[in-house]
Amino acid sequence: MRMFWRRLTGLLRGSRLERELNEEIGIHLAMQEEEFRQRGMEPAAARAAALREFGGVAQAKEDYRDRRGVPWLESAARDLRYGLRGLRRTPGFTVAAVLSLALGIGANTAIFSLFHTLMLRLLPVEKPHELVSLYPTGGRFDGYVSYPLFQEIAKRGDLFTGVIARTPVSKTRFATRPGARGQFCQREFVSGNYFTVLGVAPALGRLFTEDDNRTPGGHPIAVLSYDLWHNRYGADPAILGAKILVDEQPFTVIGVAGAGFHGVQVERRAEVWVPAMMAGMKFTDPRTHWLWVVARRRPEVSPRQIQAALDVLMAQHLKAVYPSTYNAAIRQKALGQRLEVREGSVGLSVLREEFGRPLTVMMVAVGLVLLAACANVANLLLARGAARQKEVALRLSLGATRARLVRQALTESILLVVAGGALGVWLAAWGQRAVIQFLPESSGNPFGAALDTTVLLFTLGITALSALLFGVGPALRSTAVDPAAGLRAGSMGQGGSPLLRRVLVVAQVAFSVVLVGLAALFGHNLFALRSVDLGFRNQNVVAFTVDFPRGMRSEIRTPSRQLAEQLQTLPGVFSVSYGFPGPFLMGFAGASIRVPGSERTAHEPGYVDEAHIAPRYFETIGTPLVLGRELERNDMTGPRQVAVVNEAFVREFLPGEKHPDSRTFSFDDSKPEGGEPTFIVGVVRDVRHAGIQKPVKPTVYVAIDQGQNSGLPTMLVRTQAPPNALLAPIYRELRRLGPSVAIGDIRTLRQQVDDSIYEQRLLAALGAFFGTLALVLAAVGLYGVVAYGTARRTGEIGLRIALGAPRAQVVWMIMRDSLILVALGLALGLPAALAGARAVESVLFGIQPADPFTFAATAALLAAIGAAAAFLPARRASRLDPSQVLRNE
Amino acid sequence: MSTRDPGILQGTLDLMVLRTLETMGPQHGFGLAKRIQQISGRALDLNQGTLYPALLRLEQRGWIESRWGTSDANRKAKFYHLTRAGRKQIARESQDWERTVALMERFLRPAG
Repeated sequence: MRMFWRRLTGLLRGSRLERELNEEIGIHLAMQEEEFRQRGMEPAAARAAALREFGGVAQAKEDYRDRRGVPWLESAARDLRYGLRGLRRTPGFTVAAVLSLALGIGANTAIFSLFHTLMLRLLPVEKPHELVSLYPTGGRFDGYVSYPLFQEIAKRGDLFTGVIARTPVSKTRFATRPGARGQFCQREFVSGNYFTVLGVAPALGRLFTEDDNRTPGGHPIAVLSYDLWHNRYGADPAILGAKILVDEQPFTVIGVAGAGFHGVQVERRAEVWVPAMMAGMKFTDPRTHWLWVVARRRPEVSPRQIQAALDVLMAQHLKAVYPSTYNAAIRQKALGQRLEVREGSVGLSVLREEFGRPLTVMMVAVGLVLLAACANVANLLLARGAARQKEVALRLSLGATRARLVRQALTESILLVVAGGALGVWLAAWGQRAVIQFLPESSGNPFGAALDTTVLLFTLGITALSALLFGVGPALRSTAVDPAAGLRAGSMGQGGSPLLRRVLVVAQVAFSVVLVGLAALFGHNLFALRSVDLGFRNQNVVAFTVDFPRGMRSEIRTPSRQLAEQLQTLPGVFSVSYGFPGPFLMGFAGASIRVPGSERTAHEPGYVDEAHIAPRYFETIGTPLVLGRELERNDMTGPRQVAVVNEAFVREFLPGEKHPDSRTFSFDDSKPEGGEPTFIVGVVRDVRHAGIQKPVKPTVYVAIDQGQNSGLPTMLVRTQAPPNALLAPIYRELRRLGPSVAIGDIRTLRQQVDDSIYEQRLLAALGAFFGTLALVLAAVGLYGVVAYGTARRTGEIGLRIALGAPRAQVVWMIMRDSLILVALGLALGLPAALAGARAVESVLFGIQPADPFTFAATAALLAAIGAAAAFLPARRASRLDPSQVLRNE
Repeated sequence: MSTRDPGILQGTLDLMVLRTLETMGPQHGFGLAKRIQQISGRALDLNQGTLYPALLRLEQRGWIESRWGTSDANRKAKFYHLTRAGRKQIARESQDWERTVALMERFLRPAG
């Protein structure tokens, strides 16, 4: 180490030492010269003899210099300068190489950071590996558990050291103190043992205990997150004991959770924790599913043992909840539910449930992009090495060692990869923002603010790996030159190892086949989704839920109607209506009915979806009436109960009926002929209100003002103006309605539709981007190899033409070369693409993994690329002037 | 292509320099070169130039130190002298050397 420092300081003091050395050698020579003169030599002869005796002065100096500094550092600096100079000299090559590396590294960093957050990052809690998530599947409410079931699980001290229950984190009204301006916060209802079981310590005050969660509605206390405390209270310790408003109810703050803890849900950071008993749910109803359960298992009990025990527990629980007197169909489905034991160390995530598998496939795909980029750069380096062969031969014959040349070539690769990596990290940040654009607001932001160290390490790792992948081969290849032969061969050289380059190109083609195949699959999938008839045509309808304050919730019919009337007067507005729930993915109520005269309900009631709507509802969203009329003003309050039904209703209950609008049904399902009738006044086209991919169920639309108060309505405003221009007037009208009437979830129907298929849209967009990228890389690689091969065969081609070969034959000869490479790439890539397609089957809709369109399109596209890449070289070759070529030979 | 002189082992030149400095006291480069040539009796074809990198190496290891001074002929010259670490190094290297020699002798002495 000391030695290293001396050398390093030697390096820095280089010029002084250099002078001293010159002086010292000068003195040495002078002394020797003097001695020789004293022995009687002539001065000139003495000088020559002294120099001879000394040996090579320059060599000694060089050796001395090598010793003096840190040789590798010094020569590394030299290599660096040399590399930079070389890269500057060939800007086209440099830009192509850096850009393809940056895109590869950037894509990997962006996707990995998502992958890491969703799949890998451990929760910042005590011993995260002991946590398991208990996830019900097979029922109607996957993931959710009722309070009684939670209590049963919690009793199993033989399996768990603690069991916690929580609700998904949700956005809620919030005020920092009573009377303060209304804001929003992310709230999570939790069981009393939540913090204890997770092992989270308070930063201030205390956290919940079991005693804080005993009586329904009896614990108006809250714990704040460290970030919320910092950001909205300036970390003021006086917060303890202060009152805050959550969902307009006062809560007393008892503590602040430790820094860095945001709950257990990956993509949503909780800011305020409230005891579950304050959730106002039916705590004793085993059929109200609203909690997610996380448990800390006993270290000695394996997840498999827990699974076995829970299977028994769940079966008993379900038998008790759904006795044999229950509706047989429902009972059978309910009994099929299972409580799955899942890994809990990485937290819970709705996004992971939906998106985990496609994300894994995407991770592999971007890995392929990076490999393709590396193959491309390696190919470029090889081509460059071939062009530099003469230079290499010259340097070797001048005494440079091969090791030195390899080191130089590697330095160049490192420069490329460092530039590519830096640009890639920047691209990744940009890519993350682009990905977030696709996620619906409700899935939160899984990325978090700062770039994670793990992610940066990953980037560093893949950067180093790519340097190794594309750098070493070409470095070894291009310096393996016989100096004599290399110099003789002239500027063309004898080739940049054509076989290696061909192998690389075939690999590139194979990678791009996989990526293009997936892109085509996702594209076709999205197209299939988009072509589904949703039942409503007007997608530029602004939809928002109106969140009435608690005081107004008992009677919302009048204010809803007033708001609709006011909005109707806004300029540019065509029509306004509202309903509960909204038309698309806002949930639906179910009802049990009898249809007099229908075979279907003669023996047992039928089930339908039920929505409450205002007049002009179908006109506003653009759903065509098949028959009859839609609900009107008079229907809202009239004595006669009326309803509009959808086509599915007619198919199910009144098949073959020519005049369904003359029939009735009844919500009184106690007897086959029903009770008080509801008159059907119209039939509308089926609306896919449960999502594009869900089949339409029989649905009845009843008047929103009839009967009991409905839930918070969704306002629908169809406008001529751009939807954004409507926001300000809408907010103004809301304020006129009351000071604390708020808007929830304002989007156009088009956005709602888009958000519902965000996975497929994201995959299609990513696929298209990466597929195009891979195609471009493959085209560049193919062009390079074919152009090079053609150039080498100039003489042969000239001869062929001179001997009378038709030009078309020459063109074909060269095209064939490229197409063979493409065919090989297809043969390797297509099976891999098919395997990838099978893995993403869960996000496919209406098409099979082995989608013929997808794979035909991929093969055709690649063949076209192969032909296009070969076209220019082929045309050039066919236009060769044989006399000129042969003269040059 | 190699720039190294294969006729002389790196370690041996180091030991020769150290040993010469030990017996003769501080010396300048030319003096050292002459003395080493004298002792080796022309058996060693030493390029005087190779001495300087060796001197630098020894100095970097802390076994010798250098200082500018005046020679007998009243000439300015850089003088090298042994450090305490250098003396220890001589002892260590001499031992190693003797062990090697003894070992090699056993192989080279005719059997029997």
